[in-house]
Amino acid sequence: MTVAPSLLLPVVILWPILLALLCLLPKLGPRMLLALPLAPLPALAAVFLAPRDQTLSVTWVLLDGGLRLTEPGVLFLSGAAVLWFWAGVYALRYMRGDPRARTFALFWMLVLAGNLGVFLAADLASFYVFFALVSLAAYPLVIHDRKPASMRAGAVYIILAVIGETALLAGFMIGAHAAGGTILIDEIRDSLAAPRADPLVLWLMIAGFGIKAGLVPLHVWLPVAHPAAPVPASAVLSGAIVKAGIFGLVTFLPWGSAWPISGTLLALAGFSGLFAAALYGAMQGNPKTVLAYSTVSQMGLLMGVMGAALAAGLSAASVLPAVALYALHHGLAKGALFLGVGVAGKARGVVRGLVIAALAMVALSVAGLPLTAGALTKSAIKGSAGDFGATLIGLSALTSGLLLARFLFTLPKAEKEDRLPGLMVVPMVALAATALALPWSLYAAVTGKAPYGTIDFLALGVSAWPLGLAAVLVIAALGIGLRAPSLPEGDLLGSVARFNARAVAAAQAAASVGGSDKPVETARTWPEIWDGLERLERLINDHAASSVTLILIALGLFAALA
Amino acid sequence: MIHLLPLLLVFLPLVPALISFALPDRMAVWRDAINISFALIKLAVVGFLLLAAREGVITEWRYEFLPGHDFILRLDSIALLFITLSAFLWLIATVYSIAYFGRGPHLARFFGFFNLCVLAATGVAMSGTTITFFLFYELLTLATWPLVVHKGDEKSLRAGRIYLIYTLAGSAAFLAGIVWLKSLVGTIEFTAPPDLSGIPRLELTLIFILCIGGLGVKAALIPFHGWLPEAMAAPAPVSALLHAVAVVKAGAFGIVRMIYDVYGIDTVSELGLGTPLAVLAGATILYGSFRAVMQTDIKKRLAYSTVSQVSYIILGASLIGPFAIIGALVHLVHQGIMKITLFMCAGALDNRMGIKSVTDLDGAGRAMPVTMAAFSIGALGMIGVPPTAGFISKWHLGLGGLQSDAPWVIAVLAGSSLLNALYFLPLLYRAWLLPPSAKLASVRELDGAWNRMLILPAAITALATLAAGAFATFPFSPLSWAKLIAESGYLK
Repeated sequence: MTVAPSLLLPVVILWPILLALLCLLPKLGPRMLLALPLAPLPALAAVFLAPRDQTLSVTWVLLDGGLRLTEPGVLFLSGAAVLWFWAGVYALRYMRGDPRARTFALFWMLVLAGNLGVFLAADLASFYVFFALVSLAAYPLVIHDRKPASMRAGAVYIILAVIGETALLAGFMIGAHAAGGTILIDEIRDSLAAPRADPLVLWLMIAGFGIKAGLVPLHVWLPVAHPAAPVPASAVLSGAIVKAGIFGLVTFLPWGSAWPISGTLLALAGFSGLFAAALYGAMQGNPKTVLAYSTVSQMGLLMGVMGAALAAGLSAASVLPAVALYALHHGLAKGALFLGVGVAGKARGVVRGLVIAALAMVALSVAGLPLTAGALTKSAIKGSAGDFGATLIGLSALTSGLLLARFLFTLPKAEKEDRLPGLMVVPMVALAATALALPWSLYAAVTGKAPYGTIDFLALGVSAWPLGLAAVLVIAALGIGLRAPSLPEGDLLGSVARFNARAVAAAQAAASVGGSDKPVETARTWPEIWDGLERLERLINDHAASSVTLILIALGLFAALA
Repeated sequence: MIHLLPLLLVFLPLVPALISFALPDRMAVWRDAINISFALIKLAVVGFLLLAAREGVITEWRYEFLPGHDFILRLDSIALLFITLSAFLWLIATVYSIAYFGRGPHLARFFGFFNLCVLAATGVAMSGTTITFFLFYELLTLATWPLVVHKGDEKSLRAGRIYLIYTLAGSAAFLAGIVWLKSLVGTIEFTAPPDLSGIPRLELTLIFILCIGGLGVKAALIPFHGWLPEAMAAPAPVSALLHAVAVVKAGAFGIVRMIYDVYGIDTVSELGLGTPLAVLAGATILYGSFRAVMQTDIKKRLAYSTVSQVSYIILGASLIGPFAIIGALVHLVHQGIMKITLFMCAGALDNRMGIKSVTDLDGAGRAMPVTMAAFSIGALGMIGVPPTAGFISKWHLGLGGLQSDAPWVIAVLAGSSLLNALYFLPLLYRAWLLPPSAKLASVRELDGAWNRMLILPAAITALATLAAGAFATFPFSPLSWAKLIAESGYLK
C-alpha cells in the first residue's frame, strides 16, 4: 500500500489539533508540555515529502476547499516549523512548573495549527479559519501571566485582531464575488490582477494582513503584546505568527499587475515603519520590547518592498522567492534572539559572554553585516524594491544596528546562582545556527543565482558604511557615558489610550474588582442618549396596545401615500 | 397510508400534551418519560420522512374544512428543513426543561402547553395554504402565552400582556392581509405563486406591508421587537424555545413563505418591495446588536442578540438571489442551534449558581467549564468566527448581498460582527479569566443525573454548531439542505 504524500498536508494541521484536544483531558493536561516539540513534526515532514503546487481537495469540510504547498509556502512552512519546534523544546523547560501549563499547551497547539495551516490553505474558507485561529488563540498566550500590563496588552491585541478579521472577511467576500463566487485563492488573485479590479478588496486585505504583520500605523498592538507573553511564546509570535500576515500579502496581492497608488501607500507605510520603529525601539528598556520593535521594523521592510513591487507591477516569480527567503531568515533569527533573552537571564560570567557573543552574531546578521546570511537575503530582496527602496534598505542598517545594539545592552543579568538548563541553550544555539546557515544553502535554489559570484571586499566594505556608522555611534555613546532615553512602549497607543481611556478604565475596574460583590458600573459609561433609548422602548411597551395600533396606522398611511 | 403521515406528524404532540395536562404531579416521572418518548418518536418520524423526501416523495394531506377553504399539510423541502430543526431541538429542549424545573409546581400545565407549542410550530412549517398557516400561527401565539407567564409574578404577567398585545395586533394585520389577497386571487397554495399581474400595484403593496408587518411582529423586526426583550421574564427553557424554533422563527419562516411562495420573487422584485425590507432588516440587525451591547442582564443581552440575528434570515430572504436565500435558510437552522445553546447555558448558570447579570459571570468558566465552553462556542458562532455555523451563514449572506447589488450588506454584516464581538467577548473574558467568587467555587458541574441532563443538551447543540460549520458541505448538513431547497424551488 502506498500513501500519497499529499495526505501529509491535513496531518500537519490535524496533529496539533489532536494534541490540543488531549490537553483537555484532566490527567494529561499539564504533562502536555512534553508534547510541545512534537506538534510541528508533520510539518517538517511535509516540507521534505509533500508535492509542490498540487491541490489536495478536501470535500465535506467547510466549503469544499483544499490544501496545497506553494513554492513560497515551503519556505514559510519550513521556517515556521523549525522555529515552533525549537521554541517548543525551550518551552517545555521554561514553562515547567507553571500553574497554567495546561492552558499554555492547549493554546500553543491551537496557534501552531492555525499558523501552519495558513501556509497550506488553497481556499478562502480554510485560510480564514486558520487565520482566525492564529489571531484568537494567541490571546491566551499574550495574557499568560495575567499581570495588569499583560491584560492591557491583550485587550489592545484582541480589539485590533477582531477588527483585522472583520476587514479580511469583508475583503474576502468582495474578492470572492468579483471572481464569480469562487473560493479558490488563486482565482481570486487572478481576478484582482485583471484591469478594473476593485481596489477596496486590496485595501481591506492590506489592512487585515497589515494588522497581523505590524504595518505602521496598525502595529500598535505588537510592541506591547509580543513582550507580554512568556519568552518562547514571544519567540513564535514575533518569528512565526507575524509571518501569517506577510504570507497573506504574498498569497493575495495581484503580482504582475501594477497598482501605483495602493502599492506606493503600502511601500510608504512599510518603509516608514522600517525606520520609525527601529528608532523608537532603540529607546526602550525591555529587551523583548526592543525585539518587538525590531520585528515591526523588519516586517516594515518586507511590506515596503512588496508595496514597491506592487506599484511597479513586478511578477510573482521576481518578488516572492526573495521575500520568502528574507522572512525565513528573520523568523529564525528573531526566534533565536527572543530565546536568548531567557538564556541571558540565567547565565553568568564567561557563559554569559558567550551567549551575548552568539546573540550579537545573529543581531549583526539581521542588521545586514556583509557576508552574513542577513546581508545575503537583503541583497536578494533589494532587486524587487526599486532604486529608492534599495537605498532605503541600505540605510536601514544604521537604524537596525542601533536598535540591536540597544537590545544587547538591555539583556537581563542573572540575579542569583542558577544552573543554565541545556534545554534552553540548545534551542537558542540551534536556531541561531540555522538562521545563519540556512539562507546560504537555499539561496541558489530560491533565487537561481549563486551567492556572491565574486566577492569584492572593497565594495562590500563601502556598502557597509551605515552599519559602521551605527557601530561608531554606539561606541561613542558608550565612551561619553550617554544613556539612551527610555520611552514608554506602545508609541501611538498613548494617544489611542487617552481616546478610549474610559473603556480601559472600566475594564481595569472589572478586572480588579474580582471576587467581591461590588457591582461594576459599566452602564454609567454610556452616554445619556443611550439611556433615552432604553426609556423609549419601555414607554412604548407600557402603552403597548396604543403604540402598536399607532405604528400600524402610521405604516398604512405611509404606504398609501408612497 | 403515507399520505396520513403529515397529519400524524403535526398532531403527534397532542398525545403528550393531553397526558401531561391529565397526570397529577405525583406521577411526574411518567410525564417526563412520556414527553421524552414522544419527542424521540417524532424525531424518528421526521427521519423517515427525510429519507422519503430525498427520493422525491412529497406527501400532502388535504381536507376541506369550510367550503372553499382547504386545510392542507404539505411536506415540501423547506418544511422539512424547519421540521427537522424543530424535532431535534424539541428533544433537546424537553430533556433540558425536565432537568431545569426538577419537581417544581405547575409543571403539568407547562408540559401541556409546551407540547401544544411544538404542534403549532410543526403546523406552521407544514401549512400548505395561507389560511392553514394562519391557524397554526395563531395557535402558536395562544400556546406560548401560558409559557411566557409561567412564573406568574408581576414581571411575567406584564411580559405576557405585552406579548399578547403585540402578537395579536400583528396577527390581525396578517389576517387582514391574507383575507384581502384571497378575495383577489382565491386560495393560495404554497406550490407556485399565483398570477398577480391583474392586481393594482398599490393594493399588492398594501397587502404585502400588512402581511410582513404582521409576521414581522413575531420575527421582532424593528419597530415591532419590543415584546421580545420583555419576554425574558419567562423561564430559560421557554426563552430557549421561543428564540430558537418557535415564535421568532415562525415569523421569519412566514416572511420567507410570503416572498417566495405567495408573491414570488418576480413580483416582489417588480414591486420593488425587497430592498426596503432588506434595509429594514439591516437596520434591525444593527439596532439589535447595538442594544445588546448596552444590556447587563445576560438573558436580555441574548434577547437583543436574537432581535439582531433573526433579521439575518429576513435580510437574506428579501435580498433575492441564490447566495442570499441559501444564507437565509441556513441561518434559520444555524441561529436556532446557536441561540438555544446560549439560552440553555444561561439557564444552567442561573439554575446552578444564580448568575443573572454579566457581572456575576466572573470565574464561571472554572466552576462550570462544560457549560461555559458550550456558551463560548455559541457566542463565537454568533460573532461569525470560523469554523462555527455562524461563519457559514455570514459568508453566504455577504456574497448574497453582493450578488443582489447591495454592497451595503457587507458593511451591515461587518458592523454586526464587531458589535457581536463587543457584547460576547467580555462575557467570555469574565467567565474564563477573572477569578471566581467564593460561592461559585463549590459547584460540581456534572454530579448527578439531573445536572448532567441540564448541561449536556447545551453541549450537544454546541457540538452541532461546530459540526454544522466545519462540515458545511457534508450531504446532510444544513447548508446542503439549504442549497437543495434553493435549487429545487426557489431559484428559477
